[in-house]
Amino acid sequence: MTRRLRDIARKVGRPLYVNRRLVNYYWERTRRNKLAVVGLAFILFLILLGAVGPFFTLDPTLVDFEQKNLPPVGFTTLKSVYDIETDELATSEVRGIWTHPLGTDSKGRDMLAMIVSGARVSLLVGLIASGIAIVLGTIVGVLSAYLGGWADNVMMRFTDIMMTFPFFLLLVLIVFIFGPRLVFIVLAIGLTGWTGTARLVRSESLSLRTREFVMAARAMGASDGRIIFRHLVPNVVSLIIVIATLSIPGVILAEAALSFIGLGDPTVASWGIILEAGQHSLDTAWWVAVEPGIMLFLTVLAFNFLGDGLRDAFDPKSNI
Amino acid sequence: MMSHELLDVRDLKKYYPVTAGFLSRHIGDIKAVDGVSFHVREHEILGLVGESGCGKSTLGRTILRLEEPTSGEVLHRGTDIAKLGKRELRELRKEMQIILQDPDASLDPRMTVGDSICEPLTIHNIGDEKERTERVAELMEQVGLEAAQATHHPHEFSGGQKQRVGIARALAINPKLIIADEPVSALDVSIQAQILNLMMDIQQEFGLAYLFIAHDLSVIKHMAHRVAVMYLGKIAELASKPELFQNPLHPYTEALLSAVPSVKPKGKERILLHGDVPSPLNPPPGCHFHPRCHRVLPSCSRKEPELAEISQGHFVACHLCDAGDL
Repeated sequence: MTRRLRDIARKVGRPLYVNRRLVNYYWERTRRNKLAVVGLAFILFLILLGAVGPFFTLDPTLVDFEQKNLPPVGFTTLKSVYDIETDELATSEVRGIWTHPLGTDSKGRDMLAMIVSGARVSLLVGLIASGIAIVLGTIVGVLSAYLGGWADNVMMRFTDIMMTFPFFLLLVLIVFIFGPRLVFIVLAIGLTGWTGTARLVRSESLSLRTREFVMAARAMGASDGRIIFRHLVPNVVSLIIVIATLSIPGVILAEAALSFIGLGDPTVASWGIILEAGQHSLDTAWWVAVEPGIMLFLTVLAFNFLGDGLRDAFDPKSNI
Repeated sequence: MMSHELLDVRDLKKYYPVTAGFLSRHIGDIKAVDGVSFHVREHEILGLVGESGCGKSTLGRTILRLEEPTSGEVLHRGTDIAKLGKRELRELRKEMQIILQDPDASLDPRMTVGDSICEPLTIHNIGDEKERTERVAELMEQVGLEAAQATHHPHEFSGGQKQRVGIARALAINPKLIIADEPVSALDVSIQAQILNLMMDIQQEFGLAYLFIAHDLSVIKHMAHRVAVMYLGKIAELASKPELFQNPLHPYTEALLSAVPSVKPKGKERILLHGDVPSPLNPPPGCHFHPRCHRVLPSCSRKEPELAEISQGHFVACHLCDAGDL
């Protein structure tokens, strides 16, 4: 089974992986879009950050009330301490220190460590949930286009129903039923997010299906599976890459939004969770909410820039 | 006689149902192929001509069962292709291949041309990786390409080269019959001759039979041994090439022949057909050709002429010939 899957993956991935010239061609086209390159650089930086960052930062779960609510380096806040002796509030200025370059939260945890481990969580959530959604969407889309007739009808009407279903409500429901576990959140986003992909892939496959090379393959005696995996899917790979880069930020935001309304997994410090914690202390420690907010903003922007760039690069009709 | 017939098509029909309205009411059929019978012998090139929309391509595809026939028989060495199961059909596909019209669309843009040529070998599990690579190199040289180009992608080739790739791919599994569906009509005239000569050479070398579909009689004249003229889903005339070109009996054939450009104009008057091919959904009654025919008889709009053998191997479907009018 795994060998078969690997075989399929190799065949599907092959057009871009083996074909250096084509990769170079698309890279050349993508490179002309400066924003896309910046986006790609930021995403690579994030991946690196998520992969190796946690080894260099402090323990993000280490609580230290002595050091709570420290501002980032270069910022100062006022801290009021109630003095029992004099019955007065003594106000002192607090400076950010280099031990905690991005400051600490209300429990004295290091913000930098939390942001870095949050990057890992958010990226994983984005990649896995998008991966599930795209695989499902591609299967439904290609099959629907290739089989046609009643199978197409059944699958597309099911897609319509899924599309009209209030997705966020479903997420809330799933979290309510299964508890706020990250696994279920990822699964829920993946299992509901494939509908757009299915439609796009279907429409692309519909036009591919009638192309003469598919007819030639049938004349050679190619099986349906071969036509689907060797001819249809490789030809929608570029579309899928674009959909993926554009859907990942949506997924990251969905997870953050869920966390923000208190439905996130409290045991994992995703950016959404940090953001949610920070919103209660905006007046005393604004950086706790602002820092993950900026990261989310930049990440979403980076994926969108890259997605736009790839879409133009893969579209032979666009002049870039 | 039987043993020489590679392909025997009998009363083949391909109708496309036309539906209308909310309930998809069946309001008629497009009779793309409407009762066509002919045969192709081994090593023979049968030319099939007709205007666009007359059903030539549909006929070719129905023979290969890329379209399911509505009725009729397609006998390949006596086996009815139209009734084969999936597995047997796949086996039979080794015997018959197709060369398609548009070389741009007939190659998968994501596959190297080497992989494309190799695909039939992979599908039918012929040879191991090394043998296949050798076979691809051999095929590419046979069609006038360099073996080193196997790793290139279709977009790096010209139209003529792509068509050569298409030919190499069709040859890969040593078929006996190739259906060439307007293989040169998408190419420049200068390239057309090269490709046609290549196809002739290959036909000689491998002892192939072609069903050569074209809308250009000069191409057919260059290639074919026998010629079938198709009009609106039916065969109007079928004869050996010299017979058809010297003694065309059907007025439609006459009109087509008069349109062939010639270096030495024989002073023959050009027969101009008026109007378009009528809709195959609603063909004119009687002889389908009568509204455009320059020699129309009163009976033409009443009775449909049958394809009849007028002289040895010369078949015509025209009332002029029934009447002994010629």
